[in-house]
Amino acid sequence: MNSSNPSRMRRVFGWFDDRLPISAMWRSQLTRYPAPKNFNLWYFFGSLAMVVLVLQLATGLFLAIHYQPNPDLAYWSVLRGIERDSRWGWLIRDMHIVGASAFFLLVYLHMYRGIMYGSYKKPRELLWLIGIFIYLALAAEAFLGYLLPWGQMSYWGSAVVTNFVTAVPVIGKPIATWLRGSFVVGLPTLNRFFIFHVFLVPVLLLALVLVHLIALHHVGSNNPDGVEIHDNVNDSSWPRDGIPFHPYYTVKDLFGVSVFFVAFFWFVFYNPGGWGLLLDKLNYTPANILHTPADIHPLWFFLPFYAMLRGVPDKLYGILAFGASFVLLACLPLLDRSPVRSIRYRSVLYKLNILMMAFSFLWLGYIAHGFATEHNMVYGLHVTEVFYSTFLLLPFFNRRRSARVKIVWLFAAEAVVWLIDLWMYSIHAHGWDLMLLTDWIPTLYLLLLFGLAIVFPALAHDRRQLPQRLTAGGLFH
Amino acid sequence: MPALETGRKHTQFIRQEQAMTKHNAPLVNHRVLLALAVGLLGSFGGAARSSVATTQPPLRPITVNLQDKAALRNGALYTLHMCVACHSLQGVRYSSLRKMLGMNRTQYEQVIGTNGSHYHDTIISTMPSGVIDAFVKILPPDLTVIARRRSPAWLYTYLTSFYVDPSRPNGVNNTVRYNVAMPDVFAPMQGLQKPVMVAGLRFGSPAQVAVGVQPLTQGSMSRAQFDRTARDIVDFLYAVGHPHEQERARLGPWILGLFLVLSVLTYLIYRLYWRRVITSEERWWRVGK
Repeated sequence: MNSSNPSRMRRVFGWFDDRLPISAMWRSQLTRYPAPKNFNLWYFFGSLAMVVLVLQLATGLFLAIHYQPNPDLAYWSVLRGIERDSRWGWLIRDMHIVGASAFFLLVYLHMYRGIMYGSYKKPRELLWLIGIFIYLALAAEAFLGYLLPWGQMSYWGSAVVTNFVTAVPVIGKPIATWLRGSFVVGLPTLNRFFIFHVFLVPVLLLALVLVHLIALHHVGSNNPDGVEIHDNVNDSSWPRDGIPFHPYYTVKDLFGVSVFFVAFFWFVFYNPGGWGLLLDKLNYTPANILHTPADIHPLWFFLPFYAMLRGVPDKLYGILAFGASFVLLACLPLLDRSPVRSIRYRSVLYKLNILMMAFSFLWLGYIAHGFATEHNMVYGLHVTEVFYSTFLLLPFFNRRRSARVKIVWLFAAEAVVWLIDLWMYSIHAHGWDLMLLTDWIPTLYLLLLFGLAIVFPALAHDRRQLPQRLTAGGLFH
Repeated sequence: MPALETGRKHTQFIRQEQAMTKHNAPLVNHRVLLALAVGLLGSFGGAARSSVATTQPPLRPITVNLQDKAALRNGALYTLHMCVACHSLQGVRYSSLRKMLGMNRTQYEQVIGTNGSHYHDTIISTMPSGVIDAFVKILPPDLTVIARRRSPAWLYTYLTSFYVDPSRPNGVNNTVRYNVAMPDVFAPMQGLQKPVMVAGLRFGSPAQVAVGVQPLTQGSMSRAQFDRTARDIVDFLYAVGHPHEQERARLGPWILGLFLVLSVLTYLIYRLYWRRVITSEERWWRVGK
């Protein structure tokens, strides 16, 4: 092709452009897509998650080429075939391992950003809901992939999770056997987990991400001020507070990607196991069906849910307990109906509540990191109560409440917490001493929140005067 | 796996489980208020406290040096001629050791050898498979990535801390691996050792716990000589467990440097583009304050 002849190049491009809306898409989705001017640090994580998704697909392709989905071969096909016998296999594998954890970290931050700035509120409810499904697909992907190296923790982790289904009365066991293709985790399980991990769930994930983006570009981006930029447009119907996504946010995201890769490759090159957090050390022992490890626990990104599961002394209720956290997340648009979107203009106590949401989640992870002692289980139960409270209290903040309503809320919330505890006492799930030792956690949180709301009503008041235009922008504000 | 060992493992596991789930002596039944106060203060640290607590012996410190070829060769000799009698290193090929040990092929085959296997074969235990079932009962763990499963200090302590325990089938026990299945193959070199017992916890219950060892008989090596040998073995195991350490160290700074430079460049480009936005006549960043 003669590149010195631009008109011919343009003709060739024009031929394609007439038949495929290349430039139209480019314009509508990038150079003419108005993004708010004031995205801050929190707005990097969505695009970074997409970068990591691509990275996982690329590294995963090479790993799948060398991997053997057979219990007799799987472990050594990873630790010898991929890590030692194939060139750069170790680098590809470590990138895939670190990438998995990075994906979860970025998605958690991305979700928390949405919670802080009210990105789940009208008209973005469906966008949020699709995001929840992306998280669930990602969780499935991580769980399925964890079995593939066929290490001890892979095997027993999968055994535990596939046994969740047996909690369903009557039909649970047959369904679990059907899902595993075997009475225990074995060859059929590994085969189907492999094909689900490399084909089914990634396709689902890509489709969901595409729908997520289509929905996002249809309703437009929220921003740290929660101001709808499309409400204020100039004569050519361009939002006054909007700038074209390309080049402004593409160059900004490139900066984010570069910084992210510094941290990412530090782990890949210097700490691929991530202190035993990114890859459990027990996984350096091949799966042994006759030897159950004394302590089976998931990787760090599932630990909070594991604490919820352990906190409830019954398999079915435990699964319902951690499953409920996804329902609560999905119900955020219903729970929080305040007209104020951004946390910037919400009340002090609302900020405290959102902070407590993150803190209790981290705390649950810390608890689940320890052994499954009764002490840790009881702590898990009570911190789970706090975590759920942070969601279920959201309707309280929907409008300004009178002192009487606040007192009713306080007593109702405390009653629920103590009813759960009474139920635990009644079935002798835990000793009195341990229960009383940790009961203060939800009790105190509720007392603190409503006590402050009653004594200092202003702390529970959202700002009435909201900005009509965006107020600030940049990296850190 | 033979039923005997499986049964013993199972019993041990059930005991562990019982120890973990048993509701131990009441902590605070009479002093609920005090307990609440303690809980309030020590909540975070308290969550880590567990009833599976076991007194851990101190680990012997060790510095791994992958550049010390003499140590690696010595470690390779002992590993391939002693450990491989029972253990395999299925992830490692004999040929891949040559480069690691800094030898040419003739030197390698003269000094280290391949235990009768092909030069490019993986390192498989020389023990006939029937022997495992007949005598050993439990498959000795593969040593390829044992140094990723356990820290060098743990391995070093493990190798040097066998002690005489007549209650065990092999007559020995280990401070860091309680009820170890491996016999004390180092006894001829190191001599026998007796434990230093202290009153401690095992799975939350009070028990006499070995936290160290003292020499009982003299072996063919002096104490310093044996410690040196054990350190060389750990050095070697660490090297085979981390085969790309040098590539990581060589490549890492370049890749990190590349993205650090890119971070600076992309930041400058970002500022360059955004100057237009920030200085636009609408002064948007002040509106609404």
